[in-house]
Order: sequence, then structure tokens, then C-alpha cells
Amino acid sequence: MGDSSTSYIHMVQHLIEKCLIFNMTKEECMEALSKHANIKPVITSTVWNELEKENKEFFEAYAQSQSKQDRMSEEETSQMIQKMISDSSNKDPSE
Amino acid sequence: MLAVSPLRSERNAENKGEMESFSIISSEEFPDFGDGNLLESIDFDDLFVGFDEGDVLPDLEMDSEILVELPANKSDVEESSDMNTSVEKTDEDGNQRRDEEEEDKVSGSSSSSSKEEEILSKREETNAVDKRSSKHGVKGRKSSAKEKNNKQEKRKTKKVDWTPELHRRFVQAVEQLGVDKAVPSRILELMGIDCLTRHNIASHLQKYRSHRKNLLAREAEAASWSHRRQMYGGTAQAGGGKRDINPWVAVAPTMGFPPVSPMHHHHHHFKPLHVWGHPTMDQSRMHLWPKHPGHTPSPPPPQPQSTWGPPPANLSFWHHHHKRVSNGVTPGTPCFPQPMAPTRFGAAPVPGIPPHHHGTGGQPGPHPLVDCHPSKESIDAALGDVLSKPWLPLPLGLKPPSTDSVLGELQRQGVPNIPPSCASSP
Repeated sequence: MGDSSTSYIHMVQHLIEKCLIFNMTKEECMEALSKHANIKPVITSTVWNELEKENKEFFEAYAQSQSKQDRMSEEETSQMIQKMISDSSNKDPSE
Repeated sequence: MLAVSPLRSERNAENKGEMESFSIISSEEFPDFGDGNLLESIDFDDLFVGFDEGDVLPDLEMDSEILVELPANKSDVEESSDMNTSVEKTDEDGNQRRDEEEEDKVSGSSSSSSKEEEILSKREETNAVDKRSSKHGVKGRKSSAKEKNNKQEKRKTKKVDWTPELHRRFVQAVEQLGVDKAVPSRILELMGIDCLTRHNIASHLQKYRSHRKNLLAREAEAASWSHRRQMYGGTAQAGGGKRDINPWVAVAPTMGFPPVSPMHHHHHHFKPLHVWGHPTMDQSRMHLWPKHPGHTPSPPPPQPQSTWGPPPANLSFWHHHHKRVSNGVTPGTPCFPQPMAPTRFGAAPVPGIPPHHHGTGGQPGPHPLVDCHPSKESIDAALGDVLSKPWLPLPLGLKPPSTDSVLGELQRQGVPNIPPSCASSP
């Protein structure tokens, strides 16, 4: 029982990682795994949460890039870049 | 001749060494023959060679060394024995057993011949030739002989259960030797596992190599797509009107038309190897082509590199196929969808670009661009890959959570055990 659970969890983790490569959100992942691999969403979400606990930094960075994608438009991104450039050029003299 | 085939199939099905069953069947089909003397009275010696030699070993799993000796025993049987022994060796995956079709056997033999290192390769060719030449004439005969021997002597090489642990050791050994240089006998030595034979390793190695190519190509695409998406996000403003052209220009020259004919063959061969996901990917992809009419310009999105050399450059070609392939499982066309696997991922962000351009020129665009949803078929392919090949390494290699904490959490949520006995509703 233990072994099969472990390998099942391993499989779910593997599937989640594949979804992460596709930059999917947790919800999207739950849906995809349920649809394509017949994994109950609650299981997906639990494993996701546990993975997040074990890999906090990764998921924090992931969430950031996700939110950036959601929020920022191309224009906003380029504006941000321009701002960053001007900021750094402003900083230079002081350094 | 037609009457022969069903007899063979029946024989094969029940060919566990029961002479009685044989005689029963045969008496139905060939009332002329007596009960127990069937084998002696009819010219099936070369078919039931095992019986003749008293080699009825339904439960014995013989090692490859014994297999090598077999031809000597069956020296009286010309092609059949050769075919049988070689087929025995190729039976590891159980593919051969089920297939009585000449083509499948031939393709199976051909594919397995690359697995075999030594003697068998020659035998394979001979057998393949023999099979093809005697295809129609002795179709049933060959099938039955092969089937019989398979069932009689079971698998010459044990079926190996490639657990993740076992596979990890395999991969270690392979990488130590170098993927291209890895020779099954050396891998076997490095792994130092008794239960494995060279043949198990050889076949596994072949699968591993072909999978790696696939995986690397797809992940390279995925990685380059994430990068691209960010690039587009940043340069969108600067690109301005050029955006229209850039992706396409970037794409068109780099995309060559795939060599269609080799792919055709590949797909024929891949039929028995469907577990590796090529045909399934094809089919899933093919199914989706018609569902993206709105994306007709985009399916062949900016593809920076095409390791597979997909055809997206030729949009009109795509449309043509797109219409022609309604449920699209023809072997001819799948070569395009398959290489599109990586592109499909890219297709998601890119569709944002054309509408972006064609639209108001800036406002609606960003959302489709950045809010990219990977296409269903590429997800399906990726997930299917995981499901069919559990021994694959984790793509990201995240630190796994402890089983206990996951199970504990699940129990709190009301899921008593996993894997669940009942699958969730689709």
C-alpha cells in the first residue's frame, strides 16, 4: 500500500511538473490532470500544495512570473523595462 | 489455404501443449486425420516442431543462451525455426505474441533486429525476407508456428518490469558509458543485476534512446517558447508594425518541409510501438486541427527551430490537409502533427499575435499574448508520456513531498487511499 501510494504520488508530481513547464496555474493543472490522466482534482491540489511547501522558492518565482503574465501587457512590460533602464541609469552616478 | 489459417489461429490459441485440443480442432477441420496421430500424419512437422521434440515447456522461461541453442534442435525446420527463434527473442515485449499479421511481424522483426546484436540480426533479415516472400503462401503457417513456439516455450527472455529504481540504474549506466556508446553488455555489467538479460537491456535501450530524442526536442521547444513569449512581451512596443512580419519571417525560412516519406515509414513501424506516444500524439493532434479554424494562420506559429522540420511554412498546404483530415489517422499525414507537438505549445502564445495585429493594433492583443493557454493536445501528449513511461526522470526535479504528509493531507480532505479505486468522472 505504501509503495503504490508513493509511486502514485510520484506520478502525480511528474504530471504537475509537466504542467509547470506549460506555465499552467494550479487550477489549470487540476483540470488537465483530471481530464487527461483521470486524477482527482483534490489529489492534484494536495500534491501541488505539498510540492509548494517543499519547494517554496520555486513556486514563489513561478507565481511571480505567472502574475506578471496575467497582469502585464506588452506595453506594460516594455514600459517597465524602459523604467528599469532609466532607473539604473539614474542610479549609476550615485554609485 | 483459407481453411488453413483459422486452423492455425485456433491452434495457436490453444497451443499450450495440449495435443488433445489440437486433435479436437483438427478433427473438426480435417476429419481425415486421426486423433493423436495428427502431428505425424500431416505435414505440420515444421509447425509443431516443439511438440515433435517434446519441447513442451509452458511455464519455463528460458534464457537467451538456451534460445541460441534452439536452432540446432530445430535444424530440420528451415525457415520456421529461424523465424521462431528470432521471434522468440523479439517476444520480450509481448508484441509478437499478439500479432499474427505478417506486416506487424515483419515490422516487429525489423525493429527488433536493431536491438539484437549478434547472430540474430542476420536471422532477422533472412526471416523478414522469408516472411515477405512466403507471405501469402504460408501466412497461417508462419503465424501459427511462431505463436505456438511463443506460447509453448513462453518468452525466451523474461519480461522486465522497469521500475523507476531499475530505470535509474540503467540510466546511470548508460550515461557512464555515453548514450551513443552504451552497449547492452556493458550496461548489464555496470548495473550488475542478475535478473536482467542483454536482450532486456537492448530493447530498453532502444526505447530510451528514441524517447530521449523526443523529450529533448519537446523540452527545447517548451523552453524556447517561454523565452520567446517574454521576448515578444518586451519587444512588442518596439516591434510595432513589424510584428506582423517578424514572426512569420523568422518562421518561414527556418522551417523546412519535413521529409515526408521517411515519416511514413516511421509511422508504419510505430504502430506496434504506440506506447511511445507517437501515434497517439499524432491522432490527438490530428483531431484538433479542425477545431482551430480561427487559428489557421497561427497553427504554424513562429517556430524558432524545428528539429523535426515540420511543414508550417506552407500554410496553404496545412489548410489542405486540415480539411482533408477529418478524423485524420491516416499514416500519411501524421508526420506533421507529430512534429507539431512542440509547436503546439508555442501555438498558444502566438495566436495572440495575429489577432493582435489584425485587431485594433494593441489593446486586445496583450491578453491573448501573455495569457497563453497551451493547447490541449500538447498537454495530453506530455501527460500521456508521463503515464506511459513512469520511469522517466522528473522534468523539473522538484523536491518530492513526503508520502506521509501527502497521505495525511488527503485523508483530511476525505480521500482515504490512492490510487483511488474509482477514477474521477471524465
